[in-house]
Amino acid sequence: MKKKTMTPYIIITGIILVALAIFFLFPLYWIVTGSVKEKSDIIIKSGEMVKWIPTRITWDNYQRLFKTGTELFGIQMPMAIRWLFNSVFISVVAMGLTCVCASLAGYVLAKKRFWGKGFVFSLFVCAMALPKQVILIPLMTEMSNLGLLKSVWGSMFAVIFPVVGWPFGVFLMKQFSENIPSSLLEAARIDGAGELRTFVEVAFPIIKPGFGALAIFTFINSWNEYPLQLVMLTQNEAKTISLGIASKLSEMSNDFGLIMAGAALAAVPIIIVFLCFQKYFTQGITMGAVKG
Amino acid sequence: MKKMLSAVLVLSLSAAALAGCGGSSEPAATQAAGSEAAGSEAAAPAETEAAAGATEIVWWAFPTFGVDTGYEQEVVDAFNAAHPEYSVKVEYIDFTSGPDKLTAALTSGTAPDILFDAPGRIIEYGEAGYLVALDDMLDELKSDLNSESLVETCVGADGTAWMYPISSSPFYMGLNKEALEAADALQYVNLEGDCTWTTDDFVKMCEALRDAGPTQVPAIVYCGGQGGDQGTRALVNNLYSSSIVGADGKWNIDENGVKALTLLKEMYDSQALDAGFDMAAADELQKFQQETCAMTFCFGTSNEVTYASEDFTQIAVPFPSDDGVPSLEYLVNGFCVFDNKDEAKAEGAKEFIKFICDDAEWGPKSVLKTNAFPVRKSFGNLYEGDEHMALLASWSQYYGPYYNTKAGFAAMRPLWFNMLQQVFNGTDPQAAADEFNSSANAS
Amino acid sequence: MGNKKEKAPARSKVLQRRETLVSYLFLLPALFFFVGFVITPMAMGVITSFTDASFTDPVGKFVGLKNYIRLFQDKIFIKSAINTVIIVVVSVPVVTAFSLWVGSAIYRMHAGLRSFYRCVFYLPVVTGSVAVTVVWKWMFDKYDGLLNYIIRALGGKPLPWTSGESMALWCIILILFTTSIGQPIVLYVAALGNVDASLEEAAKVDGANDFQVFWKIKWPSIMPTTLYVAVITTINSFQCFALIQLLTSGGPNYSTSTVMYLLYDIAFKTTKEFGYADAMGVVLAIVIALFSALQFKVMNGGTTE
Repeated sequence: MKKKTMTPYIIITGIILVALAIFFLFPLYWIVTGSVKEKSDIIIKSGEMVKWIPTRITWDNYQRLFKTGTELFGIQMPMAIRWLFNSVFISVVAMGLTCVCASLAGYVLAKKRFWGKGFVFSLFVCAMALPKQVILIPLMTEMSNLGLLKSVWGSMFAVIFPVVGWPFGVFLMKQFSENIPSSLLEAARIDGAGELRTFVEVAFPIIKPGFGALAIFTFINSWNEYPLQLVMLTQNEAKTISLGIASKLSEMSNDFGLIMAGAALAAVPIIIVFLCFQKYFTQGITMGAVKG
Repeated sequence: MKKMLSAVLVLSLSAAALAGCGGSSEPAATQAAGSEAAGSEAAAPAETEAAAGATEIVWWAFPTFGVDTGYEQEVVDAFNAAHPEYSVKVEYIDFTSGPDKLTAALTSGTAPDILFDAPGRIIEYGEAGYLVALDDMLDELKSDLNSESLVETCVGADGTAWMYPISSSPFYMGLNKEALEAADALQYVNLEGDCTWTTDDFVKMCEALRDAGPTQVPAIVYCGGQGGDQGTRALVNNLYSSSIVGADGKWNIDENGVKALTLLKEMYDSQALDAGFDMAAADELQKFQQETCAMTFCFGTSNEVTYASEDFTQIAVPFPSDDGVPSLEYLVNGFCVFDNKDEAKAEGAKEFIKFICDDAEWGPKSVLKTNAFPVRKSFGNLYEGDEHMALLASWSQYYGPYYNTKAGFAAMRPLWFNMLQQVFNGTDPQAAADEFNSSANAS
Repeated sequence: MGNKKEKAPARSKVLQRRETLVSYLFLLPALFFFVGFVITPMAMGVITSFTDASFTDPVGKFVGLKNYIRLFQDKIFIKSAINTVIIVVVSVPVVTAFSLWVGSAIYRMHAGLRSFYRCVFYLPVVTGSVAVTVVWKWMFDKYDGLLNYIIRALGGKPLPWTSGESMALWCIILILFTTSIGQPIVLYVAALGNVDASLEEAAKVDGANDFQVFWKIKWPSIMPTTLYVAVITTINSFQCFALIQLLTSGGPNYSTSTVMYLLYDIAFKTTKEFGYADAMGVVLAIVIALFSALQFKVMNGGTTE
């Protein structure tokens, strides 16, 4: 297996892969460097060279981005940081709720026999691929009737709830829960463990990798949940970083440096999170789909 | 019906959640409690303020006072200090997602109290029944208005006042002086008097720019969205003195309009101008600022500031027309009050609008912040000694009929830019115009 | 949900009833959010789709199937539906084939290099559509964009990219492609790693070439993954929205309008006819639900082996 000759095929593959890697890394590179470039470096004028590398590093773009201030829990901070906080808050709460709900539901759907199971499960599966825009208007009316849209925190929960309701997590956790050996559950029951204890002590350790995968998956999904944020989050203090950049893009489309700074602020933290948990993540999606 | 259904479903669910609140359903219970806590937490400050007697008023501001200037907050602070019985809160919205948010908020009953915008949307909201009539305020203002025609920009079909105006300014064209000089095209532009000029000269100027090529393209007729579409409408309507509203009051691109579209298409084919299929006014202005094109069709008093450049001199000219007499579109900035079924809020909102528009100190300041001309005679000339502003002010004699308040305006706008796209893509201008006319009047 | 508990059939086994009760208690949190914030609005959407509700009259009158009939006479809707189909039909095979190729190229690499590539291809997914689109918007710029800059530098004729009616949709598909292949690659790397190595060895000993090994040994064992990839890519492609909104707003001349985008455009921007927009949503939901049911079948079929 290990003896590899340098056939033309391997060489070509290698070249294509490197080229593709550059192609895929480029947007990120451009965002990060663009955010510290001076204005004259950013705009390509006819007849001039593209400035691939910033000639001088400047933090002006970030300064302009951070100009508007706000307050959160009595702490003064730039509005853009508040937006970042909101993104994190929404993603983390959605992640936590989804993990709890989905793992409980996935566990019983995989391991219990009960009346109506088939119906409930097919309902989940059919709704799984439903595009959220389809229910945007009724959802908005519903949230408004519940009184959530009036306050900053309420409107953030109006984004969180539909994300938690999305059945993908249930589906994923069901796949994982199939791996729990029934004999273990049986043994726990004979030992007299209650249902909840059985779940926590026997089932949970086995589905833990799936739990991690779902966590990251939900985090990234709600981070990128653009349409829902667009209609629910009307107040400036409630905006997420994606919305914030989109609005900057509209207001100051001629200030490319500021837009890049905003994009960097939106992309870099989540990429760091992703790189840290990368292992669980790849493990997770693989197990969920291929069912190891 | 829908409200009931949702209420019943949600209620039964919550009931189920509470009833089934056994050991295993803890997450749901904690969750519900969590959201309630969050709700009350946010509501708390409002309540304390209400207890102190302050009515909270929410103001949504488009960046009409300029982007990130902080002026909105300044004036709000001043008002809150002068009127402790009210507490105004400003939220910033942008022109891209702001309109969508307003639609969402209005239909779901979470509208703000005040909006600072222009007649196009305001009248639409008013006619749809979302606004408080401002007849009392407008009646008081009438005697002090600079122009009678301003009244028609503020009222709906039956004459109800929906908007309270503060300032107005014309839309015009911007030219890059150095680029024109380099192409020896400045000779076609009238820099004397009120700068009016003709269609022929406009065509010659574009051709000279094309031949000399000081910029990548002479001009970009943007048609990728609604943003700033009044500029392209003004261009089309001026070239052969047509009007988008027919004598019968219907939307209509007449034969002169078709002639203008044909001319633009010919110029596009001969590369005397380009079409921006994926661009709105903001994109075109940016290209003008970056000297990618030598002119903009969407110049205005505030865009002059936003898209200023140190690299070249910007000249303001009215739109060219066949007879040299332009018919200009103009902007009116104004406020409206949303009907949130709360007397106190509506009163407060009106009070605040008066403060921002009419206060001896803040009124003129606000007008200056919009970079436009006051609608009130009594404010006099706020731009004393400014020749450029005097030129712009003189163009008010060329203001055309105002159609942004006409029924179906909102539905007409997407048809307009799609019609332009079709013409530039080779659809026969007459056919495109016919389709526009029938669709615009259908709804 | 309370109803269901009480209605549990009176089976002879007390145990069975208890298990049903426990199961629903476990399901309760998930069902709460699912029914409350997915099913309820869906039901409301379906009801609205039979009315003429609009911005001026948010409640509307019952108009029967009028909105649905109008859909199939609406040229713009049909164009958007065709665009949607093009996006799905092009991206699914391309994404599947390409990720399989990358997967098989990197799965035997050194672990570090392998995870490097996996991350690189996953980056656009994580970066977020808004941030990614900002960069692409600039790259596709007709006048000062990077792509045309490079074309000019090489002496070519600049292309219109997103402003060209015949090109714009392909630009969208390209960006969609970069944000879609991350997950399939991860899946294929794992699936290929699980292929029984002894089978492969045996085939090689028998004199099979690389292509035969792939086709006869690997392909059948990664079949379930392939089907899964195909289905998730289908769903992703149907849902493409932010990209279009930020890049082209459906233009030029509706050439990048998809059903998803048109639905939003009608509800929030142009005529604001909620009833009509909801009818579009219902049709789209039915189509996607069919695909979803297919996925359900496929996955069950794939995992019973």
